[in-house]
Amino acid sequence: MEIRTTIFNEVAEREIRNPYARLFLKAMPAVIAKRRTVVMGSFPDPVAAQACGQSIRAEVVARLPDLLEQFERNALERGAKILWARDAREACEMVLALAKERDVSYVTKGKSMVTEEMGLNDALADSGIEPFETDLGEFIAQQLRRPPFHIVGPAINVPVEEVRDLFMEKIGMEKPTTDPVELGYAARLFLRDKFHHAALGVTGVNMAVAETGTIINLENEGNIRFNKASPRTQISIMSIEKVVPTMADAMHLIRLLSRNCTGQAISAYVSMDSGPKGAGEIDGPEELFIIIVDNGRSRIYADPVAREALRCIRCGGCLNLCPVYTKIGGYPYGWAYSGPMGQVLTPLLLGLDRTQDLYRACTLCGACREVCPAGVDHPSIFLYYRSKDVEGDRGLRGKRRPWWESRLFGLWGRAAAHSALWNLGVRVARPLVNRYSRGGVISRMGGFFQGWFRSRNLPVMAEETFHERWRRLRDEISAGGPKGEA
Amino acid sequence: MIHRGPMKHVSLFIPCLVDLFLPEIGEATARVLRRLGVEPLYHEAQTCCGQPAMNAGYRDQARNAAKHFIDVFGGDDIIVSPSGSCVCMVKHHYPLLLCDEPVWLRRAEEVSERIFELSQYIVDVLGIEDVGASFQGTVTYHESCHILRGLGVSDQPKRLIQKADGATFVPLPFAEMCCGFGGEFAENYHYISEEMVKEKVENYLESGADLLVLCEPGCLLNIGGYLSRNHPEKKALHIASFLAGTERGG
Repeated sequence: MEIRTTIFNEVAEREIRNPYARLFLKAMPAVIAKRRTVVMGSFPDPVAAQACGQSIRAEVVARLPDLLEQFERNALERGAKILWARDAREACEMVLALAKERDVSYVTKGKSMVTEEMGLNDALADSGIEPFETDLGEFIAQQLRRPPFHIVGPAINVPVEEVRDLFMEKIGMEKPTTDPVELGYAARLFLRDKFHHAALGVTGVNMAVAETGTIINLENEGNIRFNKASPRTQISIMSIEKVVPTMADAMHLIRLLSRNCTGQAISAYVSMDSGPKGAGEIDGPEELFIIIVDNGRSRIYADPVAREALRCIRCGGCLNLCPVYTKIGGYPYGWAYSGPMGQVLTPLLLGLDRTQDLYRACTLCGACREVCPAGVDHPSIFLYYRSKDVEGDRGLRGKRRPWWESRLFGLWGRAAAHSALWNLGVRVARPLVNRYSRGGVISRMGGFFQGWFRSRNLPVMAEETFHERWRRLRDEISAGGPKGEA
Repeated sequence: MIHRGPMKHVSLFIPCLVDLFLPEIGEATARVLRRLGVEPLYHEAQTCCGQPAMNAGYRDQARNAAKHFIDVFGGDDIIVSPSGSCVCMVKHHYPLLLCDEPVWLRRAEEVSERIFELSQYIVDVLGIEDVGASFQGTVTYHESCHILRGLGVSDQPKRLIQKADGATFVPLPFAEMCCGFGGEFAENYHYISEEMVKEKVENYLESGADLLVLCEPGCLLNIGGYLSRNHPEKKALHIASFLAGTERGG
């Protein structure tokens, strides 16, 4: 998958002016996020339920190596084959090798973020094996050759007319229609045929249960179940943090994931695979491969702050409330993961140097942290990335900031610790700032702060700061007696 | 939590934005406290809490500011500030910044237990809701992120508003949605920030309120600055000014 994280501003400035996408984005906090709140209310104690999910994910991060080994043992025992991929390239090669050994011309796929991260579709296509996304939204995004707009609704921003034209051109829909049911039916006809002849199905994994060696997928379209039941060979790909300790933990996380993802008490389909089809069983794949992808995560694991990002369960709850995401949509984030989830994960996986805007384009409002069922503290992680970037941290590939900024903060730091210097700074700055005053208001400052002044004014710097007026004020209010002016 | 005694003293922490751009908020804070029988003190050696450096990733510089703050305020029983984000900085980030220096960490933790946002102090510590304020008209309230989610303060300012003589509280749609300030965010990502503050102001207009009250100087610069440019007839006011009755919009 093409990495476009360095052109965040360019894409965001374009997308923020996309009226169609904005219409949908504007409704997100009101509709989707609200529905989440309502459905969370179906827990006897929603706060406790969220805290429970957070502690499960905390345990996962704390015990990750153990849990992975336990999962491997139990999955092997049930007949699954486990492949460990160090990085995206290795994971893609594993899929390619399995596909070539089985001489398949195409694969069907369930929606999976880790395969986006790996760039699996491109790797398959380059080797002459056609990948077919089978989640309707992902299918549309794939046919349009666009990255996912939203983790849950990858093509939710695409106007229906565009889908109509696409289906006429690409999948042989017979007559033009904008009826969603008919469009869905056209995609279904096309994909059913693919499923019917599929020899190899690829899916992601929502949870991998260490205790039982089971992999779990949640979905609403039934396509993942097809991917797992129809082909002879199933490849399920997971990043290392998808493991959970017990089946009871998984059950709780399923309830949280569904609520935070789509505002459902539970998704329409939940499928669990403990190994391939057993003797006497009527469905399931004959062989099941589980590829466990590291792709830089063990390196992150060594960092006690950054590793907390691995709590994320990809529900997308953070997107629906993010005041930035709900203005610019998913494209500016430039890679597989968008919104606060992506702002936390992408810098770790790609390096702080290539993802500068992801951890800076944030007001630290904390709406994401508040809803997160996994306990990711996004704002604290962003602050950490910023500090590691300033330090030029090697491990996280910090870039260091421009020299003038470092100087400025160096000077600022000295002044903040010495009030005489601080107050001198105020006296020097005041006339420089206030020469732009027009009628007591500043509406531009030459070339400075052009972004701010595009839409906002600034009050002038006080002719008398609080510091300067304090003594007079103190005498005045003290003279008023113990009850002051009241 | 309620401190009894002949005359309460609180130490004022006046955030740099207030000191430099909105000193009347500091003045209003002092006057309101005085009206409630509390003697405000002001350490003239105070500077900035360090938030700008912290948010920009300059932790060494933020740590300098934190140590200076602790030196200045370390001896105070109660510190009150008309800014939730500065209080959050002291409460949540100082212990983090100083976690490797045990002596400083202990002092940071002490200070962090003694600092309050203004409305929080009045309602939770003093136990007062009617401060003798008055305003004729409808008032709505913007839930600043650091006050709502950082300090868990939301009811307190609304109760203070409701108790003001003549004021009718009306809800603000999406009150808890960020206004788009975020310090350097407002400059560096101005095109996003602008859409956020625009939406905030649209919601304010939709609320039908005569006045928007908030507790955070940063939000006031942002929302007030946008109003001043685009809707000069509408006002946003800091809670301290509202309670003191010394009206002047941002």
